[in-house]
Amino acid sequence: MQIQRVVRDLVTTKRNFWLQAKPLRVVEDWRGNLEVAVDPIGCKPGDFVITIGYSAARIATGNPKITTDLTIGGIIDHWDEARWRDEIPAIAP
Amino acid sequence: MKIFQVEGTLVATARIGGLENRRLLVVKERGGSKQVAVDPVGCKPGDWVIAVGSSAAKDAAGHKDYPSDLTIVGIIDYWDDASPEGRK
Repeated sequence: MQIQRVVRDLVTTKRNFWLQAKPLRVVEDWRGNLEVAVDPIGCKPGDFVITIGYSAARIATGNPKITTDLTIGGIIDHWDEARWRDEIPAIAP
Repeated sequence: MKIFQVEGTLVATARIGGLENRRLLVVKERGGSKQVAVDPVGCKPGDWVIAVGSSAAKDAAGHKDYPSDLTIVGIIDYWDDASPEGRK
């Protein structure tokens, strides 16, 4: 799973049948690369989330027939940009 | 399988039901970026671990419908990251 930040929602009216009416969000990684993920939770822009990739992304939507390769799995309670960008060393045990 | 070092636990209260109440850890690949892994083993921060990815991660997390793409499968007993072969 990756740690990503929600940028904004994405509206696609004309879409593949097996995407159904799943909400989509634009997410970015710490480098600023943008990707699109299915959002089964309901995230706000700015939320730090964990995203699930590969075939597990399809299961994470609740229906394995949904055609996605990236799904939001949870909203991280406490996270900040510095830790994301690796400016802080590993946390002491 | 890839080698990671455990950085700490990750708290995500709002999560999809399929993730259950499993422990999630922030792990860092050797010389690489941070990722999040499911931890069915019980690791401490600082531990060097091996983790499986892709579809093997689903089975490793317990059952084949578990939505994980990275699951820790073992803690490495001896690992010295400073030595060139990576072992003592």
